[in-house]
Amino acid sequence: MIDFTLIFRILVFPGFTFILLLTLFCDWVERKIEARIQNRVGPLVAGPAGILQPLADLIKLLTKEDIEPRDAKKTVFKIAPILAFAFMVFALCFVPIDGASVLSTTGFNGDLIVILTFSTIASFLLFLSGWASCNPYGTISSARVLTQFLGYDIPLFLFALTPAFIAGTLSIFKIASIQTIPFIILAPWAFVLFIITMQAELEKDPFDVPDAESELVGGLETEFTGAKLAFLHLTRDVQIVFGSALVVELFLGGPYGPVFFGLPAFWYTLWFVLKLLAVVVLTEYITTLFARLRIDQVLSANWKIVLPASILSLMLTVALVTWVYPLVVL
Amino acid sequence: MTNTTTWARVKSPWVLHFNSGACNGCDIEIVALLTPKYDVERFGVKLEPSPRHADVLLVTGCVTQQCAERLKRIYDQMPQPKFVVAIGACACSGGVFDGNYNVVGGVDKVIPVTAYIPGCPPRPEAILDGVVKLLNALNPPKQKKQKQLEPPKETKPVVSEPEVIVPSQEAKPVIEETKTNVKQ
Repeated sequence: MIDFTLIFRILVFPGFTFILLLTLFCDWVERKIEARIQNRVGPLVAGPAGILQPLADLIKLLTKEDIEPRDAKKTVFKIAPILAFAFMVFALCFVPIDGASVLSTTGFNGDLIVILTFSTIASFLLFLSGWASCNPYGTISSARVLTQFLGYDIPLFLFALTPAFIAGTLSIFKIASIQTIPFIILAPWAFVLFIITMQAELEKDPFDVPDAESELVGGLETEFTGAKLAFLHLTRDVQIVFGSALVVELFLGGPYGPVFFGLPAFWYTLWFVLKLLAVVVLTEYITTLFARLRIDQVLSANWKIVLPASILSLMLTVALVTWVYPLVVL
Repeated sequence: MTNTTTWARVKSPWVLHFNSGACNGCDIEIVALLTPKYDVERFGVKLEPSPRHADVLLVTGCVTQQCAERLKRIYDQMPQPKFVVAIGACACSGGVFDGNYNVVGGVDKVIPVTAYIPGCPPRPEAILDGVVKLLNALNPPKQKKQKQLEPPKETKPVVSEPEVIVPSQEAKPVIEETKTNVKQ
């Protein structure tokens, strides 16, 4: 007996197709915001207000010639971009989008750690793809990716633990559904620091040293063409959606909001997308406003400021959860 | 399927800029395209850093002996389907430097050129117009065959009417006013 509901959920609605369309839409929103802040119009011709621009880019890249450099390590070069994309989409499958996650389960205790690990694996695969291209620029960029995400992963995990401590669980579904008061109000410092760490994790300005165009040509994508380049771009975009979705689930109350009439799933999806867009707008605003740091500044900021701050944040959370919150809210 | 592919290619031309010995006049006009006034991202044009990502190669300047080999190599690194636009009088024919001891000539002496945009330097509108017309030439007219889609393989100039560019007097990107014709 084949469960068609499950197949539909995986392939179409909260699953693959929906995530892909959401990713392309967020990409368009980012490009538009960036353009507007720079006093430009942004994509305009492809579809109404250029909304199909990311789709056009994707289709064009998928249909272009696929060149493999002679020196590239062929297997890794071929597999890594697709695998990175697959891991990011798989990680998003655990995030409750329409009130439940894609597999229509409520997850399991500890899936927060699992999806953070998936995102780390995807970053590692990005590093591998650049490394396997055997291009000097790609290699330098890969080394920077590695130093940066290994450093910023630790604070990201610790900041993600703050909501987990307040909720008393590591299940992302329970963290999202327990928030009668969004955790952004209970732990605003963690929200701000989580956004900053996420910027570094997603390699966006002011932390985009791995693909600094003025130094590294195309970054780790330099040697990639056609479908592989498309998957690298998609991975980056899905990473942004994933990071924003994580903020929504951990700090903004997840997909839950008032249900006015009809299906709760519809309203939950609507709230999820709206909150996600708010986070995307916020991060893109930061990206556009700030200039790039140097790699040494990024790393010293990581080990000297963000990591101690994350440990302090965790201690503060534990103290508050033990002594203060029981008296005030919970 | 083919229509979708063509649509995607027309809507998303990523360009690479190569200076094969220009005086920086045309280069500044290309960079002006990215400024808020002209904003080529409207048409999905992105200036790409790597030839591996590019669809359209914008070449400025006459090709010097030293640059010829590099230009050929950059062209070879681009994935198919690829197009070359020669920008400025020097890139079209060698310009005032034609016949010089260290100059090979126009871009078409080295690599196949799909569109010529004359001018010294051409206005940003003219460059934009050339690129957009080049890509719209991909759209097959209703009755013609799909063969039109292929970029030219041989070193055969597709356009050779470098005489009339009448850029609009206002600095407003008006596409129809320039007269760079692109024929297959």
